[in-house]
Amino acid sequence: MPKSRTGEKSPSGGMGSRKRKLLGFLAEMDYRKMITYPLAVFILALILVAVNFPPLGIDLRGGVVVTAYGVDANPDQLARELSQRLGVEVRVESFTGVDTRGVRVYAPVGTDPTDIIKVMKEKYPNAQYTHSEVQPTFGEMAQRQGIKAIVLAFIAMAVVVFLFFRDPVPSMTIIFSALSDMTIAIALMGIFGIELTTATIAALLMLIGYTVDSNILLTTKLLRRKEDTIEEAYLSAVSTGFTMSTTTLGALLVLWLISTSQTIDNIAIVLIFGLLADFMNTWILNAGVLKWYLSRPSRGGSS
Amino acid sequence: MRRKTKRLLLSWRVLLLIIFLVGSIVTLAVRPLTFGIDISGGVALVAQTEHPVDSKTMELVVDSLQRRLNTLGVREITIEAQGDRIVLVKVANVSTEEQANQIKAVIESQGVFYMEFAGVIFGTGQDIEYVGIYQIKPDNTWVVPFRISKKAAERFARLAYGKKGWPVDMFLDPPANSLMVVPDSVYRLMNSTEFNAEAPEAPTLLERINRALNISVVAYANQSAEEIKRLAEGKEKVVLVDVPQELQAGLEDLNVTVRYVLRKPGETDRQIITRTLGLYGPYAVGEGLTVGEPQQDVQITGRAPDRLTAEQEARKIYTVLKSGSLPVKLTVVGMEFISPRLGKNFKTQALYAGIGALITVLLIIYLHYRNWKIAIPVASTSLFEVIIILGFAALIRWNLDLPSIAGIIAAIGTGVDQQVVITDELLSGERSTRITRRASVLKRMGRAFFVIFASAATTIAAMSFLLVYFVGTLKGFAFTTILGVLIGILVTRPAYAEIAKYLLGED
Repeated sequence: MPKSRTGEKSPSGGMGSRKRKLLGFLAEMDYRKMITYPLAVFILALILVAVNFPPLGIDLRGGVVVTAYGVDANPDQLARELSQRLGVEVRVESFTGVDTRGVRVYAPVGTDPTDIIKVMKEKYPNAQYTHSEVQPTFGEMAQRQGIKAIVLAFIAMAVVVFLFFRDPVPSMTIIFSALSDMTIAIALMGIFGIELTTATIAALLMLIGYTVDSNILLTTKLLRRKEDTIEEAYLSAVSTGFTMSTTTLGALLVLWLISTSQTIDNIAIVLIFGLLADFMNTWILNAGVLKWYLSRPSRGGSS
Repeated sequence: MRRKTKRLLLSWRVLLLIIFLVGSIVTLAVRPLTFGIDISGGVALVAQTEHPVDSKTMELVVDSLQRRLNTLGVREITIEAQGDRIVLVKVANVSTEEQANQIKAVIESQGVFYMEFAGVIFGTGQDIEYVGIYQIKPDNTWVVPFRISKKAAERFARLAYGKKGWPVDMFLDPPANSLMVVPDSVYRLMNSTEFNAEAPEAPTLLERINRALNISVVAYANQSAEEIKRLAEGKEKVVLVDVPQELQAGLEDLNVTVRYVLRKPGETDRQIITRTLGLYGPYAVGEGLTVGEPQQDVQITGRAPDRLTAEQEARKIYTVLKSGSLPVKLTVVGMEFISPRLGKNFKTQALYAGIGALITVLLIIYLHYRNWKIAIPVASTSLFEVIIILGFAALIRWNLDLPSIAGIIAAIGTGVDQQVVITDELLSGERSTRITRRASVLKRMGRAFFVIFASAATTIAAMSFLLVYFVGTLKGFAFTTILGVLIGILVTRPAYAEIAKYLLGED
């Protein structure tokens, strides 16, 4: 294991080596462990998805939602009050942004959103209201389309990855880690109760792009390496990858904090889940597979 | 050093970036961005036909909806057919929930169609049994043949006996049972023989709509909301046409249902009358129909100055006649209402979020490299990328909605990733010069660009399916992502590589 080389003239030498030390343990890990741990996480995520699939948002399931901005209320109390007045079971959740607070009121299909607004206006006349309403039939259509979009995007991604690497093991690993990222992100959505909506489907699709980024980086660095050893190439890739993910995560976090739009919020949070999962899948799982793949005794002839 | 700077600025990659950047800024200056309903405020409705229809019927549905919504007096309606069942209706600048619901009601209801003569309704949409294909003759006269029911034909024969040249009116969704408050000039026009076809002796439009549809009209002369409410006693609603808008709020406070019709730029008194009433015509009765013989097969003819106008007029009448008996029923399956004030909030929020994200990128990149010479170019390249994407969006008048903004975020995110890859390749080239065999900058860049192209290609491949297959909201997302990634690999990334080489090579 080559020691990191400090004291270079390079402007980033100091920071780079510190990061390398920090991430060095990954380079030394046994590849069997690197493969089995993420696989275990993947299977756990699969089970979680099976038993606790994220709730469907109203745009996929159908229903009514009224959003009131500039309302500061106890959601449970408001829900009780509204349910009583309207005669239908409503659910209320509150949200906060940088300069506004508000509540979202969810009601079943067939409720007239203007009725909800009328009742709310008595209590909060100065709030700003928006509402949306989706019929179950349209929700079903959106669901079908969402599934189709994810499957097709995934296949397209797989084909392109194959075309670029022309090597089954690394390609399959990239594809598998994208699959695992998505599964883990969905499992985390289930745990945190984040709804599956058209927006979060968009986020899952975005995830394909992001995860493939880091995986392609790693695979390229290792397969077309110019460094002396696999460890050295790995370290260089992982430090780049670390910079990439932390930057993206930071930007997403800020986005999530500032925005009060549910669309943007949910996209940001799902991407954060996915990027965290991707860190494990790329730099541990994919790296483990590649380590094994590159260090196995050559059987003559290259692929 | 000077010469190096000059060389950098003159390299085609940097030049290309500058050209795109300047072009985008100019575009944004002369042609401001347009925003989607979810940002600028308004109501978006998704309507579904009860069964799949062919493209011709779909066109008819869209056309007829457009006409009927126009009578509501709302501005900026876009109606778009998607696939064989979905109609997307977007109306900007809708300010109240009530107005939003009115629009929904129009979409879901069958068009109400009346044929009226001398103040008597002799037929409705149900009486139209068949509408033939319209014809345009070489002298630019047009003909729309149609068949009315036996009952309507008999009623008409009795009414029109001996009244050659009298006006026949057709209404689509008129504001029946209402009080119209109009400017004085409009009132006078309605009370004149302007709408009497060839028969000055026939009752005026004012009298005809009063008798047939129970619409009373008053000229606006600074009446207060209370006075108007009194005048509207027993009516269903008040229709305000081009009068001070404060009146609407005043009447709504008195619990009166109000429809406000705004005069469009350049709209004449005649046009605003026909639009408000949903009036088509009047058409003069031909001699053959005034002899007392019921005739079911009738036609409407007209003459236009040129073929194109003739075509438009004939098509309009064709749609209107068909509207009362549209072959399919529409149900609103999705509806979203955003108040305009909130939309403004979203816009500033998106701006703050964008700036916040950019500063975060700047700071985190600085923390990693401890070098402003890297952090500033990375962050500013991202900023340039946003500007260029927005410039493009303005150029093609893409309506920026929230999903489109998410797409921009996605593109910028992968953009930063790729810039990090380039930077690290450059830096590692320097770090390893002494120890390992030297890979030239060019080769290292080649590897960085392999990574970049591979990831761009996968993203574009994945997103293009969305662009083609999806109905509705996710289209914007896919579009801006693809646009951003393309601009990235073609313009900003090569320029960044050039700039980074310059800045880092200097040490």
